[in-house]
Amino acid sequence: MKEKTFYRLLLAVLLICVAVTVAHFAYDVYAYKHCSIIWFIAKEVWGHVAP
Amino acid sequence: MSRRKNILRQIALLLCVVLLFASFNGGLYLLLTRRLSNNFSGANQAKMIDVGRYLPFEETSDLARVETSLRLSGDLPVLDGAAALVPVYAAAINAIYPEGSVTYEGGAFSDDNYYGENFAPDSVMQYKNTVRGYKAVVDGETDVFFTAAPSAEQRQYAEKQGVALRCVPIGLEAFVFFVNAHNPVNSLTAEQIRAIYAGEITDWSQVGGVHRPINPVTRLKGSGSQTAMDRFMGDTPYGRKSPLVLFGASIGYSFRYYMEGIVGNDAVKMLALNGVAPTKENIQNRSYPIVAEFYAVYREDNDNPNIPVLIDWLLSDEGQTLIEKSGYVRIG
Repeated sequence: MKEKTFYRLLLAVLLICVAVTVAHFAYDVYAYKHCSIIWFIAKEVWGHVAP
Repeated sequence: MSRRKNILRQIALLLCVVLLFASFNGGLYLLLTRRLSNNFSGANQAKMIDVGRYLPFEETSDLARVETSLRLSGDLPVLDGAAALVPVYAAAINAIYPEGSVTYEGGAFSDDNYYGENFAPDSVMQYKNTVRGYKAVVDGETDVFFTAAPSAEQRQYAEKQGVALRCVPIGLEAFVFFVNAHNPVNSLTAEQIRAIYAGEITDWSQVGGVHRPINPVTRLKGSGSQTAMDRFMGDTPYGRKSPLVLFGASIGYSFRYYMEGIVGNDAVKMLALNGVAPTKENIQNRSYPIVAEFYAVYREDNDNPNIPVLIDWLLSDEGQTLIEKSGYVRIG
């Protein structure tokens, strides 16, 4: 692949990844404002710690 | 050969970029998004309060029942309430209202119908929850509203509209703090909780837990639980928190019966406060530090003759037994 083509492709991939990540953040901000706090806390990740 | 190497290098670089972002988004999903996404499903919204479970005059309803000879007639007061008190006012309608006075239309939860309040306009039972419900009672759309104490903003709204509200205490409830069931902390003092929300205590290890940041969760302004929390904090201001604490371990607050009787989620646990657990016995004998009254709220100028009858009945032994059977604690 020519360098110019590669950099265009790299830029396109980067833009898509950044757009997906920004959308993911935006969804989280919206969802956090509307979520049930009880469920939010219930689904916390605690790994091996026994209840 | 060198051209082939160059292509491989380019592909590797592209893959690295994709993998880097995928890992980041995957981690974000695991730690945060996964805990939020289900909250929009109908089933999960229903768990905030599944009104359909508490419909009056339905044999299969989960409503408490008492024997009574009172049956209201004539101008029937429209009742509404906070999510946690749906079982109380629905049981009151079931006990003393004439059959056929409630029309539940069902339907799906949506952004326009966030609480699933699918009652016909002429139904005596409505469900708007605290924030919109207070407005409805001030505006005259609801006759009696069952709720925790009004917030400063709700009182101000009534004053601005020139409406005087009467708040009659009809039962007792505990304001509780809760954490994930895996969190090893089981009890906090009131001072520790105030310090957590003030931003002075920021890690669970400072209160006997594991080394993990504390995420002090607050609620919707004007909601019953946020108003109770504001009272609990008093003059202590809330601290600012870093967005990163979202990935820590949270503490939240609510009312005991809402958690225990309505949501019933075993993955969270209520904390003892100053070493006293929020049991019905400890609420009744007031040894639990934050016992809150809940109220029947109505406009003082509402001349519906059935309102005093309803209030007197709620405060009678029959009414108090109904409140107790609904999972709350009788007053007095």
